[in-house]
Amino acid sequence: MTCPLVEVVDLEKRYGATKALDRVSFQVAEGEIFGLLGPNGAGKSTLVSILACLLEPTAGEARILGRPANPADRTLRRQLGIVPQELALYGELTARENLEFFGGLYDLSGMVLGERVDRLLAATGLVEQADHAVSTFSGGMKRRLNLGAALVHEPKLVLLDEPAVGVDPQSRAHLFEEIRRLHQAGTTILYISHYIEEVQTLCSRVGIIDHGHLIACDTLPNLLQLLEGLIQFRVSAITPELQSQLSALPETRWSETPGNQVALHCRDVKRTLPRLIAALFQTRTELLSIETIEPNLERVFLHLTGSTLRD
Amino acid sequence: MPIWTLAKKDFRVVWRDRRALIVLMVMPLLLILVLGLSLGEGFGQKPDDRLRISIVDLDEGFVEHDPQTGAKIPHHWSTLFQDDLARTAGIRVERIASLEEAKTLVDRGRRAAVWVFHAHFSRQLSNCSFLLGGVNPLDGDGVDLATLDAEILRDPTQLTASSIIAQVAQGTTLRVVLPWMIGRAFDQIGKRLGSSVQVGLKLLFPSYDLTATTWAGLTRSKPSDQTADIATYQPPEGNGLLNRGAARYQILVPTYLVTFAYFLVLIVGRLFVSERQQGTMTRLRAAPLSRFQILAGKFLPTYFLSVLQGLFLLVAGKLAFAMSWGDKPLWLLPVVLSTSLSAMGLALVVAALARTESQVAIYGTLVVLALAGASGSLLGDRELMPAAMQQISLFTPHAWALDAYRQLLATAEPKLSIVRECCAVLTAFGVGLILIGWKLLRLDGQS
Repeated sequence: MTCPLVEVVDLEKRYGATKALDRVSFQVAEGEIFGLLGPNGAGKSTLVSILACLLEPTAGEARILGRPANPADRTLRRQLGIVPQELALYGELTARENLEFFGGLYDLSGMVLGERVDRLLAATGLVEQADHAVSTFSGGMKRRLNLGAALVHEPKLVLLDEPAVGVDPQSRAHLFEEIRRLHQAGTTILYISHYIEEVQTLCSRVGIIDHGHLIACDTLPNLLQLLEGLIQFRVSAITPELQSQLSALPETRWSETPGNQVALHCRDVKRTLPRLIAALFQTRTELLSIETIEPNLERVFLHLTGSTLRD
Repeated sequence: MPIWTLAKKDFRVVWRDRRALIVLMVMPLLLILVLGLSLGEGFGQKPDDRLRISIVDLDEGFVEHDPQTGAKIPHHWSTLFQDDLARTAGIRVERIASLEEAKTLVDRGRRAAVWVFHAHFSRQLSNCSFLLGGVNPLDGDGVDLATLDAEILRDPTQLTASSIIAQVAQGTTLRVVLPWMIGRAFDQIGKRLGSSVQVGLKLLFPSYDLTATTWAGLTRSKPSDQTADIATYQPPEGNGLLNRGAARYQILVPTYLVTFAYFLVLIVGRLFVSERQQGTMTRLRAAPLSRFQILAGKFLPTYFLSVLQGLFLLVAGKLAFAMSWGDKPLWLLPVVLSTSLSAMGLALVVAALARTESQVAIYGTLVVLALAGASGSLLGDRELMPAAMQQISLFTPHAWALDAYRQLLATAEPKLSIVRECCAVLTAFGVGLILIGWKLLRLDGQS
């Protein structure tokens, strides 16, 4: 990893007897999209609040750009952009007025502010609705503007807390496009979600958090390697020749279930599948049905926590 | 300037919120209008025990030429009469603008009698003399007013009251006419018979100055130091459909101005709560702003709005209801400013205590109505409260604001020391409450 932009070391946050975060440690490199995955109540928002300098930790440390994340550090806050889970916008104001207001809070004004607002309106697909009151917007449009409002001051680190909750596919595509554009421009992004698909689509590295503990943190392929793939198939008969061929397949193990069904566990489904087909052909076995299950984050989460993400 | 950015945004938000504008601007006007139409003409007026002498002054004055020097000597006797009357203890003078209005008032029984000085009053009185060729107004009853081109319009159904007024008129006329006539007569005696006669008379009547032309001069007495109190007649029921100019608006407008100034509590409370609830407070806290900047950015536009509300209601009161801003209109400004400051203080405290919009509505309305009730502003007129309660009500900022407005708008001669005191107390209320609210307010909503 290159020089970390975010460095979290043994971070703890307690609310009375409740531990919202328990010795959480991870790093996010500059320019990286880091996903933080966890169910509701896992401690994600507390972590975001500490990183956004809104909350002080009980113990441990979070450093951003080499400085401790401290609510009193206004210089550091200037480098951060936060997209809260709520639609943090003023419904009475227009889209343009909202963006101008949030830019104004960071001392932007005049031409610079005007240009950035115009660019963000275009990026979020809201040019035509720029001068309409936000209260008249659809949920998706509000979500896009919610993202835009965090970017007017061009922050180095953007904290996205469930930015795509309840949006339509079109708005989601807009959001993802803008996030990818930010990534290409070198912005570091911390993407918090309980939607596996979003994290899987956008993030190069993922942290999994549950009950305040960071239970895994790695690149997506490495996380997926924690689990085996599964090929389930049914044949006309399981002959000794077939059994012998299946046992000879590399990096696999298999088991027979009633009804001539076979469960073949493998490290890599894509590599194993052609070999299996070849074995069936050689033994002249008739294939009646087949199903492949590749490892994904949902299953990784289930594997690590013993519960599904939406429990 | 982030404070300015915040202030501009909040002012925009409130300005576009019709509910806020209705509560702050429209509702008080509506209440003033309804009460203005439904209340009686005596509302808001203190009973005055002094005898009211109503006059119509049509006197054109008279310029006399000194026969020896040719110098012009202007006389405006009706003014002297009014001054003499007004300085008389227990009497107040009311000037009615026209003879027609006076006749209407007498015909309708609104005035028992009205003393009218006609156009040639000064000329006739200037020509009054005991000497040959002079006008002699004296008769068996005292002074014949008609000779002086004056008259008393009398309501035949109010004989006692009109007779008292007629007698007062007689007394005053005699007090003015007699020394004038005696003085002129003795002046002529001196001129025609020689100054030794005057010297002799002075020795004979040492207590009197027979050449003086006023009662005080004649009797060698000290003129009364009573302040002249001459008011212009204002129809108490007002004019037209809205009863424009009715005296009750002098009380109703400031009363509801004050009551609704404190409804700012609801607006400010809602601004804070909605900022927390919609998550924008998170954005504000994440931005490079200090707590002072965030609070000041909220304080300024709402304070400005409150001042605007006060000024708007005063202007609307003048335009719509023809209320008077009194003799010291500029003093209304510090009252508006200090009232708004105390309202802001109260608003910050409520905003600090309430966490939801419902709580703002419940706490805010409760506090505002309780204070309005305790101060007497719900009654429309604080003076309707018992004296003890009026004292207790001084624990509310409303009471001080109402007292200041009453001085400026409903008192003939406002005591500025009272207005200053009220403004100081309101400012103290404001500063104290703002400090409490400032301390209690949690921007993260964890109050």
